[in-house]
Amino acid sequence: MPEPIIEMENIIKIYPDGVVALKGVDLTIWKGEIHAILGENGAGKTTLMRILYGEIKPTSGAIKINGEEVDFHGPWDAIKRGIGMVYQHFTLIPTFTVLENLHLSLLALDESIKAEDVETLTRRLMDELGLKIPLYDVVEDLPIGVQQRVEIIKTLLRKANILILDEPTSVLTPIEVEELFKMLRKLKKLGITIIFITHKLREVKAISDRVTIMRRGKVVATLYTSKVSEEELARLTVDIDLTSKPKIRGGIRGRRILSINDLWVRDERGLDAVKGVSLELYEGEILGLAGVQGNGQKELIEAIVGIRRAYRGSIKYLDQDITSLSVGDRYKLGISYVPDSRNIGLVYEMNLTENSILTNLHNYLSGIRVINWSEAYRTADKIVREYNVVAPSLRSPIQYLSGGNQQKVMVGREATREPKVFIVSEPTHGLDVRATRFIRNMLVKLRDLGKSILLVSTDLDEIMELSNRIAVIYGGRIMSVGDKNEYTIKKLGLLMGGIHEQRITK
Amino acid sequence: MSKGSLSKLIETLSERLLTERREYLATLIETSSSLILALLAGGIVLAVLGYDPLNVYNILFRYGFGNIRYLLDKSTPLMMTGLAFAIPLIAGLFNIGGESQLYIGAFIALLAAYYTHSHVIGILAGTIAGGLLGAFIGILRVYRGINEVISSIMVNWIFFYLIIYLISGVYYNPERPHESIPIPKDARIYPISNISVIFAIAVLASILYYIILFHTDIGYKMRVTGLSTASAKYAGFNPDLSMIYSMLLGGAAAGLGGALLVLGMTYSIDDMLSAVYGLGFTGIGIGLLGRLHPIGIILASIFFSGLLIGGQWVELKTGAPPELADTLIGVIVIALAIPYVYKLLVSRLIQRRVIE
Repeated sequence: MPEPIIEMENIIKIYPDGVVALKGVDLTIWKGEIHAILGENGAGKTTLMRILYGEIKPTSGAIKINGEEVDFHGPWDAIKRGIGMVYQHFTLIPTFTVLENLHLSLLALDESIKAEDVETLTRRLMDELGLKIPLYDVVEDLPIGVQQRVEIIKTLLRKANILILDEPTSVLTPIEVEELFKMLRKLKKLGITIIFITHKLREVKAISDRVTIMRRGKVVATLYTSKVSEEELARLTVDIDLTSKPKIRGGIRGRRILSINDLWVRDERGLDAVKGVSLELYEGEILGLAGVQGNGQKELIEAIVGIRRAYRGSIKYLDQDITSLSVGDRYKLGISYVPDSRNIGLVYEMNLTENSILTNLHNYLSGIRVINWSEAYRTADKIVREYNVVAPSLRSPIQYLSGGNQQKVMVGREATREPKVFIVSEPTHGLDVRATRFIRNMLVKLRDLGKSILLVSTDLDEIMELSNRIAVIYGGRIMSVGDKNEYTIKKLGLLMGGIHEQRITK
Repeated sequence: MSKGSLSKLIETLSERLLTERREYLATLIETSSSLILALLAGGIVLAVLGYDPLNVYNILFRYGFGNIRYLLDKSTPLMMTGLAFAIPLIAGLFNIGGESQLYIGAFIALLAAYYTHSHVIGILAGTIAGGLLGAFIGILRVYRGINEVISSIMVNWIFFYLIIYLISGVYYNPERPHESIPIPKDARIYPISNISVIFAIAVLASILYYIILFHTDIGYKMRVTGLSTASAKYAGFNPDLSMIYSMLLGGAAAGLGGALLVLGMTYSIDDMLSAVYGLGFTGIGIGLLGRLHPIGIILASIFFSGLLIGGQWVELKTGAPPELADTLIGVIVIALAIPYVYKLLVSRLIQRRVIE
């Protein structure tokens, strides 16, 4: 019989503004397990964990640790009880070295501790875990994955035996995720209990022993992960059936609409980011461009859109050379682009209507360059209705909308322009299951209408689910292009890591 | 402007006014409550220094806002330099050059009116001169990367001394050696049945700026540029061009202010520039007090002028030092501007959090 280490009973949290975040939640975590907490954005996962970590006080309910009821007045009480939390955004000081950061966090527990002691403790811990972290490197120079390991080490040095990880994979590349999982399994062997917050089904299946599914402030179910399929998990996470994946049509391919030939593009530092890329895009297909972030995807698509200049090579749209056209002229031809950052694709202080015409301003101008706002309102209204955007009004500043709704406005605006070529970068980044499904279905619908879609994504599931063809970019070069069924996630992962195809097949 | 698009414009303007009533109401409540707080704080200062606050306020407001024509005349150049600061800031630039843009506007308007005997040509020439000087600073910023604050301040002093030289050495009035040549009588702008014509022109200009900002592509692009250059590039706009336009429009406003001042109030420029000095800097406060909004700036300029005029009366009537009136005005203006500056800061912080 497993022994419970954490018992949370009937936790209710009502915020001062009347929002009910948790409506009576029971959660039992067993000693030594990896327990995933799954739910859409806003389901209450993070609120629940912040209560456990003593960061916020529940309105009512009891928390027991090792059978003993506790009343936390702040994270310090939780830390003393052996609970450690790693946030999505790290709490390290970027300009300090790793060792200085660790020293600082331990000083809070023991004022007299010396840097040498911290180093011995850390080295011992790293040996135990089989880890290597450069202790004398400045934190901001380290890859994100390594910074995350420093955060975990930090909590372990504070003698945490319960580790809470809030969406730990959202900042990692696929390879880093694998390494994180390896580390978590090792920690589990050492007897550490791990709570893993996520909204990705695949990760639940890959790492957890048990899973608790939350929906709108309530626990829907707690299950053994091995006894439930991904489809069931998805169904439990959202109440309607969103699991039916769109069918991918094969074989029907229209005209060649975009051909990129030997394109070279430099980044901000003047270094080659795209090194002789050639690609073709056809009508009625989704071409998935897979790659680890920072391998030239951004520079490549910005060159296609015209935001960045290519210094060698050419881009042809149907029979027209568009290499030296302006961004606005390319948009007018029928190219449309959804950037990976809402911060660029939307102007936060402007309202929903003003944002709905950002990339299509010329269509709302009269002869004397006066903006026809009533026409703009019609467009905004159309986007709101067709894309189920939840917004107080068409005049609401876009910054007051949730991330998912902002994304819908941005994607909706670009799709409503009826482009022929649709370039989307990380279209579902940070979205919950429902919004993700909505946007993916929309991309497929556009594809079926004969549009050409270039999908840039670091999410391999997304690439595999939507693409007709796949291209892999690494170090500014295309490693491989081909039909979707020539690839597996594993093969993509290797190609993204720069391993050549010949070596994979060997 | 065609008839159809004009009626459509009026339609959307009135619709906007109706639907944004709540927003305007909130601003009104916020402004009046900060005004009350400011008067209380100012009253305490006065009481501590041994003045009767009620008496001082009575003089300040009764005399400050007593002579409407003088009040509106006085607010005209301030309204324009307020716009000269606000419009470039909307596109993301700090135009500290309202001073020199106003000097050159006044001076060129003077010359044009002197030689052509036409106030219309005077106004146009002054406006264009101010706009070109503003655009020059914008061009330096965009194509040479020179910080607009630094170049504005340098240009301010260059034109300050250049115009003093020209007025005292070349275009002086032989009959009154400390003044420039006068505006000919037939080119002066007089009030029509006691209504300030130069004020009316300034209000029309402000409304035009409002339309440019919120109802034309130039204004839209300027606003996007000021809020996010990356978004402007993504949308296919040219942020450089928007910045230059904003400086052109801002400089033109200051130039118009200078032209109206010399054509409608002073009719000449003294060789110390004492009639024009400081109006550009005061415009910075007016722009912020008016929340960078052309209509708000109209109100802010009237209010501020009233305080300036009333402050002089307070000196006269109570024998208080001029610093007292300045302190009082300072307290009131800061209290009125603080909620806006606070909001500006908060929204910037929120934006930064979102980016993270």
